[in-house]
Amino acid sequence: MAAATPPSPSRAPGTAGASGAALAASAAVAARFLPVWLATAVLAIVASIVAPDALGNTSWSYVLPYTTVLAITALGQMLVVMHAGIDLSTPGVVSFGGNLIAGVGAGRDHRLLLAIPLCLAMGLLVGLANGVLVGLLRLNPLIVTLAVGQIVFAWSSKYSRDHVTNQPDVPGALSSWAGEKPLGISVVFWTGAGLTLLVALVLRYTTAGRRFQAVGANPRAAWIAGLHVRRHVVLAYAAAGLLYAVAAVLLAGVRFSVDPQFGSAYLLSPIAAVVIAGASLAGGLASATSTWVAALALTFLTQMLVVMGLSTAMQYVVFGAAILAGMVVSGDRVATLLGRWLRTVKPPPQSAPTAGHAS
Amino acid sequence: MHGRKESQMRRKRPALAALVALAVAITVVATASGGAATKGPSGWVAKSSAMVGSGGGFGETYKAPSATLAKMFFHANLLPANKTARNITLASIGRSTKTVDYALALKCWKNNGCSTGTGGKLTVAYVEGFGENTFRQMSKMEFILEALTYPQIGKIIYRSAHSDLNQAIADFKSVIAQHVSAIVTYPDFGDAMIPVFKQATAAGIPVSTYAWGYVSGPGTNYTTVVGEDTCKLGQAFANVMNTKVKSGDIAFLGGFPGNPLSAGWQNCEQKALNPNIKVVANDPTNWDPSKVQGIVSGILAKTPKLAGLSYEDALFMSQGGYAAYKAANIPYEGVFTYRTDEAGMGCLADKLKDPKLQIYYYTAGNAQIRVALTADMMKLAGAKIPPEIVYPIQLQQQSKRSMCLPGYPATASGTSLIPLSLLHQMYP
Repeated sequence: MAAATPPSPSRAPGTAGASGAALAASAAVAARFLPVWLATAVLAIVASIVAPDALGNTSWSYVLPYTTVLAITALGQMLVVMHAGIDLSTPGVVSFGGNLIAGVGAGRDHRLLLAIPLCLAMGLLVGLANGVLVGLLRLNPLIVTLAVGQIVFAWSSKYSRDHVTNQPDVPGALSSWAGEKPLGISVVFWTGAGLTLLVALVLRYTTAGRRFQAVGANPRAAWIAGLHVRRHVVLAYAAAGLLYAVAAVLLAGVRFSVDPQFGSAYLLSPIAAVVIAGASLAGGLASATSTWVAALALTFLTQMLVVMGLSTAMQYVVFGAAILAGMVVSGDRVATLLGRWLRTVKPPPQSAPTAGHAS
Repeated sequence: MHGRKESQMRRKRPALAALVALAVAITVVATASGGAATKGPSGWVAKSSAMVGSGGGFGETYKAPSATLAKMFFHANLLPANKTARNITLASIGRSTKTVDYALALKCWKNNGCSTGTGGKLTVAYVEGFGENTFRQMSKMEFILEALTYPQIGKIIYRSAHSDLNQAIADFKSVIAQHVSAIVTYPDFGDAMIPVFKQATAAGIPVSTYAWGYVSGPGTNYTTVVGEDTCKLGQAFANVMNTKVKSGDIAFLGGFPGNPLSAGWQNCEQKALNPNIKVVANDPTNWDPSKVQGIVSGILAKTPKLAGLSYEDALFMSQGGYAAYKAANIPYEGVFTYRTDEAGMGCLADKLKDPKLQIYYYTAGNAQIRVALTADMMKLAGAKIPPEIVYPIQLQQQSKRSMCLPGYPATASGTSLIPLSLLHQMYP
């Protein structure tokens, strides 16, 4: 599916020629990913005025680990979105992963050596299944991943009922580790930050990463250049599944215990984070670091609304309005508008397609 | 060309085989077999226990073992003031002594319904709005165990709407269309269910709710609501706060926004609190431990010296709530009042052994669903059912009567009447 889709104008942002082309491409990339950073900074300023307690240590002790979990699921979603796909199997994988940690772990630390690899393998398998169905069989990703996610979620519920209800706590070693705070900041945050950096560096500085981006930015051109488009789509879903499983391990550690609904909150929020971060659902460029910042903004906003003590109805209204505002000023829209404006101001003398860079 | 494809396939086979093997390995390692099933009493019964009550009618005997009543209500005398409501309760709990097939009950529970094999002409349905947590799953088993004591019931149906109002309404209409004989439900969506309740009532199908799943118009729109008076529960919570906290900041947590259970106790607790106690937060949690963690963390960020907290679910406060306190490095102390009595909370409190952690609790009330079914069955037999079957409230103190019961899963309520051996088969 992704291979057959011709590139949209927004997916080849650098269209100016020679020296102007590089400048225009850089401007487009900056315009795409800068808004979420600015919006997060504005959010922090607003919080310091209306809810200063939201910036205190107690608040961060919740916000940073949960940001990390959301960010890692969003990173997986980002890899899929870069190839014009979408993945709705996230709640299923996170739920099953968390329940495997508790069920196989059975409250004994040494069993984590089995539980964690099993959880990761499960995530990889589900991702591969999605990848094969979408990338090779060319089925609609929205429907396929929703169906696969439902199956995994149902299996997770059954597994939870049969093997976890009696012992819902995760092994103590994992929850103790998740509670550690090197340099005063949650170890879960450091783990997520490291992972985000790794994904960003791999995408930007390795051949495989550049190819991955090139296929996402323009599958047809990538195919003409001899790249295996379908293989990259499968890889994107598989890597996403693996990242969801990593998120499940971290969330299990943060939560201390699991339940049948363990990952149900991760259906739409990872997609929202990716889009607010500047990625286009039509595929193309995305930034791992901006995605992390978007996850931070969403988690922090939720916490800020609770700290403000708004009524439930008002919390939903403000949160929804913030998401809408985020969409209006999202990097993808800004980059598209900037691209149009640049073409109006200075028509390109020659075509110079580029995949750009993700950071 | 054909040869090339074949060689490609050959190259891919080991990878495919490895993936299949991995999937099989995950399934094998992650699962374990359950225990054997036997026959036994349909509810928790002590070896020897005096009987409470006398008489009978409408196919029921108004007698129940004193110890079984005490397990469910903490004391055998905490029965409804209304005589008919009391008789319905005694008839229902008295059925605990009847022998049922645990293998069939387990099969029925796992398959979300079954044929009882009695050849009975009646079909009963338990229609759930949510259905996913241990509380609801245990209620389902209580319903099945009670239904299996009636030879006239030939079929048991279970439906779960997974928190989807449209699905809940569709489920209700579906069982009405199937001409079921009686319906028991927990109305997660409150008065939004009135039209289908009325539809069932008009079709001659008795509908009863449990755990004080209050929908407007009991006795007219539907048969009856079973449970404790949630307003009195809120007043009992307030009484604890007034005597133990005396002055300070406390918080309320609730379930789904607008659900009748949370609204019932919160409104009355708020009114009964003394003026020196301030409610600094009142947030819905959707009965989701992750959300509990986020909300408790937010409350602690604003009010680190929170003096007390009232909530329905003890279990979630032992999970998400405790995680929030621990992450914030704030001692898990204060006065906590809960509606439920899951073993996990009690075991955590026993482990922490902190005298500043003061927990007061009521009962999850799983077994109330048995009374709802009996009310429906008596209605079918021609009895006049009171619109409300209300139980007096007596909160228990964790330090004097621990929720942590030996052999109970952390997520299970100790006041449930599911026999322990069957509970272990449900949750091996």
